[in-house]
This record gives sequence, C-alpha cells and structure tokens, in this order.
Amino acid sequence: MKCNIRFIVAASAFLIALPGVVYAGDAVRDIAIPSITSAYTNGSKSYMLALNDDPSSQKNGNAIQPSPQAAEFEPPMFSRSNAHKYLGLSTLALVVATALAPKPEEDATTQAQLDEQKSSTHAKLGRAAATLAAATVTSGLLAHWDDFHLEDGWADPDNMHAMLGTAGALAMLYAVSKAPAEGHAGMGMAGGIAMGGAIKLTW
Amino acid sequence: MTKILKTAALIGALLINSTYAQAEENIWNWLTDFQRAKEVKPVTDKQFLKECGECHFAYQPGLLPARSWEKLLNADALKNHFGVNAELDKETLQSIFNYAAENSADKSFYKRSRKIARATAEGEAPLRITEVRYIKRKHKDIPEKMVKGNNDVKSLSYCNKCHTQADKGVFDEDTVSIPNYPDRIN
Repeated sequence: MKCNIRFIVAASAFLIALPGVVYAGDAVRDIAIPSITSAYTNGSKSYMLALNDDPSSQKNGNAIQPSPQAAEFEPPMFSRSNAHKYLGLSTLALVVATALAPKPEEDATTQAQLDEQKSSTHAKLGRAAATLAAATVTSGLLAHWDDFHLEDGWADPDNMHAMLGTAGALAMLYAVSKAPAEGHAGMGMAGGIAMGGAIKLTW
Repeated sequence: MTKILKTAALIGALLINSTYAQAEENIWNWLTDFQRAKEVKPVTDKQFLKECGECHFAYQPGLLPARSWEKLLNADALKNHFGVNAELDKETLQSIFNYAAENSADKSFYKRSRKIARATAEGEAPLRITEVRYIKRKHKDIPEKMVKGNNDVKSLSYCNKCHTQADKGVFDEDTVSIPNYPDRIN
C-alpha cells in the first residue's frame, strides 16, 4: 500500500510537471530581438530583396507590398507534426510511469498468478507505452518522411532521431512480448532511453 | 546485466557522438538544456539586424555555412552585393562578419542549421539562400505558380512571405502560409 501511494504521488508529480516542461520548451526564447517583423526589413527597399535570387526571377520585379496574411496567420493546433511530438512525449511519460509502477511478484507458478501479473498496473502501462511508441514511429514516418536523407549520413539529426526512435520502439515491443515470463527490464529500459535520446536530439 | 550495460553504452556513445552534443561541447550542458533548438537561431545581433535588414530580410547566419559568409561578407564582395553596392566601414563589416561566421550553419547546434551544414557538400559555398542544397530540396515540390507566379511571393528568397515566423528563425511546415493559397494543406 505504502509503495502504491508513493508511486501514485510520483506519477502525479511527473504528469503535473510534464505540461509545464512542454510549455516552457515551446515558449519563445527570451532574446533581444524586435517583436515585429517589419524591423527585419525596416519597412524600406523591400524590392532589393529580390536581388538575392537568380536573375530570371527578377524580370517582373515590381515592388512587393507586404502581405497582411503573415500577420494574421495562426499555426494549426492539430497537425501531423504536433501529433508526432505529443505521442513521443506521452510515450516517455508512460515509460517513466511503467518503471515507477510496482512490479508484480516474479515467480508466478499458477495460472491465477500469471493472470494477476498480466493485469498489473506495471504490465498495463508497459503495453500502453509500447503501443504509443509504435504509434509515434508511424506518425513520425507520415509527418516527416521528407526529412530523412540517407545521403546526409547517420550524423544528420533527423536520421539519428529516426534510427534511435525506431530502435527504442522495437526494444519496447520486444520487452512487452517477453514479459512476464522472461527478463525484460533491460530491454524496456534501453527502449525508453533510446526514445528519450531520439526526442532530445531533435528537441 | 551485461546486456543492459552494453546497450546503455551503445546509446550513450551514439548520443555523445551526435552532432548536437559535439556542437554544444559539453554533453551535460546539452543534456540539461531543455530550450528548444530545432529551427534556426534567430538574429540577436542588433548591428547585423540593422545593416542587413535595411535592404532585405536579415537572413539568419545559420542558413549558410561559414564558407559562404566569408565569400559574401568581405569588402570586395560587398561592392557588388547581388548588383548593389553594399559597402560598409571596416569595423562594421568585421563585426557583422564575426557574428555571421560564429553563428553559421556549420557552427550552430540548432537542428535546421545542422541539417543545412550536413547537406552542403564539403567545400561548397552557396552564395544565395535559394542555392543551399537543403533549402532547394525542401522546396522542390512547391509548384511554380505558388512562388514565381504568385504576385505576393515572386521568389523563394522572400522567406518571410510564406514562413510566417521566419523572423524568429522558425521555418517548419506548420507556420507556412502561402499568400493567395490559403487552402494549401501543410
């Protein structure tokens, strides 16, 4: 009981803290730059910008008036890219919750004990984490397919993100498939670390 | 247990060897910094912003490798800066060049800058943003009618016409809004 309460308190604190971290991460850096776009061009001589393009594009070079569209535009709250981001963060949260959750008795000899192991909080969280990990990889492929370019090498941040993320998800699925009969903690932890590393690389 | 240690060591080695960790120099600084750095570092130098922004969008130094800034920001090159005399006094030029070189794509730890650096071949020094291999690749599927044929865009070099947060260094798809094509799905 004591252990359960400790787990619930720790998990709650983590889940409460997580949105704050995400919000802080999304907030614009506190840097000394002008807050209005016009400061970047000083609102003058905008026609000269075309000079940075190839000559063919300058043939019809009338002065271009600033479009009001940019100022009014609000990025969508729901997008494939956002879905991928939040699935990944949720996976990490579930990995931590799985690790914190009390583990069932290891030596199950009867069917009842086995059933109890499979229906424990730890097992449910582990399965949810692995499922979310698979969903994260799938959504990543859909949202960021054009960000992978093998010719840029494995040190390319997106290539490494994809490699670590996929390896992490596979490790977690493998760990779930081996549980509870065989040892799976190492593989599950490695999957979680790889997933966390993948997120950090492109954060 | 050995398996766990081996796996952890492999993942650790991959992370430490990553371009981000290398660029940050200190793995712990990198690991404990939760500020987002997935785009391009915004321009923070007021002089750079003033001198470049007087005539055009002040392109972030992280959009070009240092080699390109070396070719662009020198006294000779500025006499004919894409057809315009953009000469600067020696001190201003030095200051702007230093800022651009220190924050160039190959020195930055911001993700999009790293990708620009990775995609640029060794020795290659594109002079135009629109000639950067990564940027060309990202825009290759955009129909010409949306850019050159679009009176409110005209050219890919007007980053901030479609990238609504270009001034903050954000160039992701979610913040793209092509003038006259409001229904374009990202």
